[in-house]
Amino acid sequence: MSAPTVAVPSESQLVLRAFLSRLAFYLFVVVVSAFFALPLLWLVLAPFDRHPSLAVKVPSGTLANFRDVFHDPFVLTSLRNSAILAVATMAIVVLAAALAAYALSRVRIPGRDLLLYVLLLFSSIVTGSAAMVPLFLLVFDLGLINSFVGVILVLAGGLLPAAIFILKDFMDGMPASYEESARVFGASSFQVLRDIVAPVVRPGLAVIAVWAIVNVWGNFLIPFILMRSPDRSPAAVVVYNFYTEGGQADLRLLSTFSLLYSVPVVVMYLFVSSRYGFRFHGGIKR
Amino acid sequence: MADVRVRSLTKVFPGGVRAIDELDLQIADGEFFALLGPSGCGKTTLLRTLAGLETASSGTLEIGGRDVTRQPPGARDVAMVFQDYALYPHMRVDDNIAYPLKIKKIGKAERRAKAGEVGAHLGLESLLERRPAQLSGGQQQRVALARAMAFRPQLFLLDEPLSNLDARLRLEARTFLKRLQSEVQTTTVYVTHDQAEALALADRIAIMEAGRIRQIGTPAEIFKRPANLFVAGFVGSLRMNLLPATVAGERLLVGGSAIPIPSSAAGLVSDGEPVILGARPEFCALVAAADEGGIAGTVAILENLGTDYLVTVEAGDLSVQVTVEEGEEPAIGDRVAVRPVEQRALVYRAGDGRLAGSPRADETDEPAREQAAAS
Repeated sequence: MSAPTVAVPSESQLVLRAFLSRLAFYLFVVVVSAFFALPLLWLVLAPFDRHPSLAVKVPSGTLANFRDVFHDPFVLTSLRNSAILAVATMAIVVLAAALAAYALSRVRIPGRDLLLYVLLLFSSIVTGSAAMVPLFLLVFDLGLINSFVGVILVLAGGLLPAAIFILKDFMDGMPASYEESARVFGASSFQVLRDIVAPVVRPGLAVIAVWAIVNVWGNFLIPFILMRSPDRSPAAVVVYNFYTEGGQADLRLLSTFSLLYSVPVVVMYLFVSSRYGFRFHGGIKR
Repeated sequence: MADVRVRSLTKVFPGGVRAIDELDLQIADGEFFALLGPSGCGKTTLLRTLAGLETASSGTLEIGGRDVTRQPPGARDVAMVFQDYALYPHMRVDDNIAYPLKIKKIGKAERRAKAGEVGAHLGLESLLERRPAQLSGGQQQRVALARAMAFRPQLFLLDEPLSNLDARLRLEARTFLKRLQSEVQTTTVYVTHDQAEALALADRIAIMEAGRIRQIGTPAEIFKRPANLFVAGFVGSLRMNLLPATVAGERLLVGGSAIPIPSSAAGLVSDGEPVILGARPEFCALVAAADEGGIAGTVAILENLGTDYLVTVEAGDLSVQVTVEEGEEPAIGDRVAVRPVEQRALVYRAGDGRLAGSPRADETDEPAREQAAAS
């Protein structure tokens, strides 16, 4: 049998081919990274430039933009408003979701899983713009338009189903024997919750807290519609004010305010991550 | 210190599973009592009902003369060690041990001191500041025991505490547990599916099947005279030979041989009655094929058990097992006979599976209850 002659690539050809495919891969990665990194880079650099444009460039190095942005009376109030909304919503979401998730994880009710999925479905699909009109009417009828309470309740309601869903998973991961042993020693339900359940699911609570704050901090639509007076608007709404008389975006103030607006969330994330570390205390094999 | 009385206790789960069925039991003060049975027999449910983690459907429970049937777990003065130990992962070892004292509202300094004391007793001095995840399985088990002891309960409930340990450590922990219990002298109920563990540890054993107790007795009684075929088949590291036989006058026809009726059943079986001959491999002897009292057959399998050999002899359709000392094992294919040791062989009635000489199934469980109450 005569074997057909195949053109066997030489060693150097193989090396070249491997090199080229690697080069193409890295080029691709660089282009994709640049696509995501450039806006962030702009956000960090533009506030320090006297005449920022939409291009990323080495800034001229000035703090004048910060001085100017603080002249705007709404800047500090809006950040304070954002903080109020975020912290209050987070507190409600963490507390209510922890209690609900604990109950749903430990009590057998018929149709429990269906209930959870329906809640999750409605909160993730039928929210935002679709639910805005009925939500507005509801808040209006309750007389809560232009109040922090109204915005906080609506925001908390939107976040709760997903929070319950996530926390229930943490609760399910905790062996029932932890609570049972405490109960045999005579602990009350409250003691079990305080001493055992809450510390064990603490990473879950931290996740929910951070997630709730970030969500509220970045939410534009709900406070935009439910808050009427500018002195109660949060930062996400106020950021739309930075336009020149000609209707052009004022890139100096806009970029500076955006940086101020981003910093608290980043700092909080770093703090929580180092303090609690998003990890779970392992139990023993079961 | 307390005794335990269980009267016609029934536990039916939602869905209709009857986990415990009209169960009566009495455990003496200071006794180390084992609940033994296959999985699903209701032993863990019984333990959890004693702890108060399950509510009895009917019947009563008394601990130390006090009716606790409707009491919540915390009011029963019992401590339970769980199969997974249930150590709190976020607490240090000493805080784990001291947690029951915290619930009793004892001050922090006193708690720490007490935890150190109990911990030292169980050889945990150097581990008190660690977290459970940094301990080995055996150490975790001792922390769980220490936590139960620090509570100073009337009753210890142990749910398969050794089953998460590897085989060698399990033997060590078993000896440790037995010594500990004899020191503290607290009534202990111990759930296990491992018959060797129950035999080794317990003062008395209750063997359960399908929510009922099939036999209660000391390890020796249960090993030597299983009251029925279920217990006979369940207890013993080597499975007891249970051979179908027929009574023929003064002899039993079994596997083509006719052997004398064992003295334990003499006068209790009638001619022509179908029975089951029960003889442990350890309580049989390998003899010459022509032996008068032996079941003749051919050696089929030899298994080395270390100090002994387990010999499987095929006699007609039956397989009979016998242990022989190392060095005296036959060759495969040899014609031999297996002779049950006269005083140790047992005869069970084929109908209800009960030991000849014990009451028949239709005579109720009354004698067993009296026996339990008397001890």
